[in-house]
Amino acid sequence: MTAVLAAPPARRPLGTDRRRLAEILPPEGVALHFEIAGLGARFAAQLIDIVLTLGLALAVVLITLLLELGVGPSLVSIGALLFFFVRVPYYVAAELVWNGQTIGKRICALRVISGNGRSLSAHQIVARNLMKEMEIFLPGMYALVAADLGLVEGLLVVAWIATLIAVPVANKRRQRVGDIIAETIVVHQPPILLEGDLAATARATPVSQRFVFLPHQLEHYGRFELQVLEKLLHSAERLRNASDHDRTRANLAVVAERIRAKIGYGERVDPSEREAFLRAFYLAQRAHLEQRQLFGDVRADKFHGNQKSTDQR
Amino acid sequence: MSAAPQQLIRSTRFRQEREHDWWKLEAIVGRAEREGVAALDFDSALALAQLYRQAVASLSVAREISLDRSLLDYLEALCCRAYLAVYAPQETLRGLVSRFFAVGAPQAVRRSGLALALAALALALGTLVAFALFQSDPSWYNTFIPSRVAEGRGIASTRSELLDVLSRDAAASNGRLGAFAAYLFSHNTTIAIGAFSLGIACVPSFLLVFSNGLMIGALFALYVDRGIGLELFAWLSVHGTTELLAVTVATAGGFRLGLALIFPGQLTRRAALRRAGHDAVKLAVLAAAMLVVAAFLESFVRQRVGDISLRLAIGWGAAVLWLAYFTLAGRGRSAS
Repeated sequence: MTAVLAAPPARRPLGTDRRRLAEILPPEGVALHFEIAGLGARFAAQLIDIVLTLGLALAVVLITLLLELGVGPSLVSIGALLFFFVRVPYYVAAELVWNGQTIGKRICALRVISGNGRSLSAHQIVARNLMKEMEIFLPGMYALVAADLGLVEGLLVVAWIATLIAVPVANKRRQRVGDIIAETIVVHQPPILLEGDLAATARATPVSQRFVFLPHQLEHYGRFELQVLEKLLHSAERLRNASDHDRTRANLAVVAERIRAKIGYGERVDPSEREAFLRAFYLAQRAHLEQRQLFGDVRADKFHGNQKSTDQR
Repeated sequence: MSAAPQQLIRSTRFRQEREHDWWKLEAIVGRAEREGVAALDFDSALALAQLYRQAVASLSVAREISLDRSLLDYLEALCCRAYLAVYAPQETLRGLVSRFFAVGAPQAVRRSGLALALAALALALGTLVAFALFQSDPSWYNTFIPSRVAEGRGIASTRSELLDVLSRDAAASNGRLGAFAAYLFSHNTTIAIGAFSLGIACVPSFLLVFSNGLMIGALFALYVDRGIGLELFAWLSVHGTTELLAVTVATAGGFRLGLALIFPGQLTRRAALRRAGHDAVKLAVLAAAMLVVAAFLESFVRQRVGDISLRLAIGWGAAVLWLAYFTLAGRGRSAS
């Protein structure tokens, strides 16, 4: 047993999380996993911010022009000040007041968090947004006037932009240069949704007591299969009244037959009882696996038996 | 299965005992996200901290004993959101701004003596070199001043033409001077940004500021040659002192990064960069604020003040005020 635990996993277990996760260790000492935001979402958020702030600044300038509040040089300086403030200061103020979110990030459900497990400090916010000047605004402006640039300058701008895109693409945490300097990460705001406990509802239905599983019938599956079954049952519950319920019922039938055959459950399951059978099996399997886990026997998926035999050889 | 059929399994009991606290936490976190933690009443704020710690402990236990995916995902997401609500930046915008200008910025300037000296040296050296070269051969002027900045002020210009540029402030908005002023502002901002971000490699930043010094030196030499050096000096002083100080400060910020990279001391280069970054960022922000002040002086004050001695007084008064601010402000207070 100890030999099995000590052996390195020979293969990636089924159902390993493929999302990019950032592990943050808060002072409470329990690691939290945030989903790192994709570059597409970040680009969209940045675009929304630019369009919104520039639009607002232009509107203010146009209104002052139309109302003839300011003319000539004062208008120029009002405009210059406004366009100064919609660059770095806007992002710094927004991320400070809204805890790491700008309007664009809010719309795209993104958030800036500190990579060191502490709260986001003012220095981090200022540093990551100052670098924005060099990473986004300047190359963006040069790209807009690209047609007027000479060949050498044009190539330089292209190289500059390519490098800036390559940094977050090559980075495991999708950090741009400003994020690296400030030690920040941009993450997806996780949605909070708690579905009912299948193990609690399964008890309530009397029909579940009809199905009894023997210990050797519960040795076949691991955590991954259990959680796939959980997902299936949850979606069956949600879709009970939906139009494509027939397809869900067909899925349930296939799965129920597969499981029945695999574990060698002797009795035939009536089509009307398939869902109840699966729920009863889910409950028994989960109770069994959780108990094994408490004893140190973690079963990641259905191959747990194979691995053990190869390791013991 | 050996357990009695009516008895719930362990992880389900675990969940049922705690669910209500999680929902309470979820409601408080939702409110904190919408309205800010400051908007919470005392009881909710207290409950937030307690419930957060309970939820984190629950998550830690649930990872060990439960295989309920929906529970694990929910708890993880809840803890993540609650963590962000509990450890939100606690600073107000006003407090941050006042602390920066009262303590942070002047202390950062005082810590950056060497970098400031280097930046000032680059600027002064450029000015002197251009001035000296102009004395030996005036055609250097065309090399240092690009034609789009010169705006008609060439080596062939007469004294009255040059003087005309300085005194035609009334027509500043649409005259050549206005264009020059607008160019200068964006030019100096670009120089400041460039000098800061190139400072990490030191040499390009030095060259950039040096070349900026060359332009100033050449322009001066031209005016001195026509005997109207003082007029130009007064004209530039109004905003130029603030603006050149801002460029120097921004360049010093860049140099701090470059120096940290070249001489990391006992630290790794990455750690040294991060550490110098604290001051460098402060210097960059300070320089930006100074450029805004300079733009204000340039567009509002310079037009209304035509007198040479008054122009000199304003310009150098501002310079003295800046230096006093750098050396005296925020002493004996920690900036943490």
